[in-house]
Amino acid sequence: MNKIKLVMTVNKKNVETEIEPYARLLDVLRDKFGFTGVKEGCGIGECGACTIIMNGKKVNSCMVLAAQAQGADILTIEGVENSDGSMHPVQEAFLEKGAVQCGFCTPGMVISSYHLLNENQDPTDQEIKEAISGNLCRCTGYKQIINAVHMAADNMKK
Amino acid sequence: MIRFDYKRPDSIEECLALLDMYREKARLFAGGTDLMVEFRAEDKKLKDVELVLDISKLTELKIIKLDQGSISIGSGATFSQIIENPVLEKYAPFFIEACKTVGSPQIRNTGTVGGNIGTASPASDSVPPLVAMDSKLVLASSKGTRNILLSDFIEGAGRTLIQPDEVIKSIQFKKLKPEAGFSFVKLGRRKTLAIARMNVAVYVESDKDGVVTDVRIVPGSATPVSKRIFEAENMLLGKIPSYDLHEAIGKKVSEKMIGITGKRWSTPYKEPVIASLVKRALNEATGVKENE
Ligand code: FES
Ligand code: FES
Repeated sequence: MNKIKLVMTVNKKNVETEIEPYARLLDVLRDKFGFTGVKEGCGIGECGACTIIMNGKKVNSCMVLAAQAQGADILTIEGVENSDGSMHPVQEAFLEKGAVQCGFCTPGMVISSYHLLNENQDPTDQEIKEAISGNLCRCTGYKQIINAVHMAADNMKK
Repeated sequence: MIRFDYKRPDSIEECLALLDMYREKARLFAGGTDLMVEFRAEDKKLKDVELVLDISKLTELKIIKLDQGSISIGSGATFSQIIENPVLEKYAPFFIEACKTVGSPQIRNTGTVGGNIGTASPASDSVPPLVAMDSKLVLASSKGTRNILLSDFIEGAGRTLIQPDEVIKSIQFKKLKPEAGFSFVKLGRRKTLAIARMNVAVYVESDKDGVVTDVRIVPGSATPVSKRIFEAENMLLGKIPSYDLHEAIGKKVSEKMIGITGKRWSTPYKEPVIASLVKRALNEATGVKENE
């Protein structure tokens, strides 16, 4: 099996590495680059813990081959913070509203919420539910998460 | 994880040439949403795979167009792309409804309609409306193309008539009348990720007096292969829709389902559910009130 040279942008930085042709993007992000905020929950596309934004679309990184990310622009939870290193309003609101319990779903939830708020500054409950419908949380019951997204939306408008 | 080599062909021609060379040893990778699960589980049907051909970036396979009354959807169109397409919104709204219930937003961003057809899961959400529209597939190989009816192409659960050197290129159907009645109902509340256990796609066209002139009824996942249930459709043809008639048609569909699958452990559950889903779908498509 021939290794592949992979060049992509992760969290605004150009990166380069050698990968196995059958490697999953999830594993390459975690193991080669240390982006361990990308979580593996189910590994079969059901939980959304591995959610990243790839070329503007949110995808489950456990369902993507690393080779498919050739030339791609990727955002993981590690790239969500503000440029000065302070927390993004979505992250702040998650803490504030108690939307984090065990925290395993949080990176994926934050990515999905962040993606939503980029497209829709004033989402309804329904739109938030739809946006996080591919992210499972076993702890919070979702209510706190929805409240956090509303709070982030308000704070981002200020 | 199964190990394989990876290639991303730049055109359909290149893809077909590679497929012709590798045949059973190659595997097409469209959205990957089913395949990645199988690779991870080291599914034994993939044990001979040496090469993955990534067609997810082939823009030629992503085109959705309306041409002289006929709609063509590239097999590589993702569900997200389909849901946002204005042509489909107007002429095949129940197909859009069905695609909205596929997986999760993340899955819909990568999963493709061609992939959904190719894996031939009886639990597919997108297939019943396509069967209802008498869709045909265009299959391409390095030798040329051929057309086949979707309902003939899917042979059984996970089995299709695709040849090892072929790619599903597009899905085609005649545009439907926007003023006709459409409905896609799925069991239970809309729940992401629950792969369809039971659903029904219905299309009803009527004349100005309300007499039904064309009707399609396709239950999904009730049987291994989604087909139009002609006997049930004929009960409505030439008639005026009514609650009682729809109820009788629902019973007919579930009767046919048992005729196909035989009695199984799940029959006592599925039988009334399918009957009621069909009734609901027909009521919705024709504006007949539920709960009379
Ligand atoms: S780990 Fe990717 S969806 Fe669960
Ligand atoms: S906080 Fe534990 S899974 Fe969501």
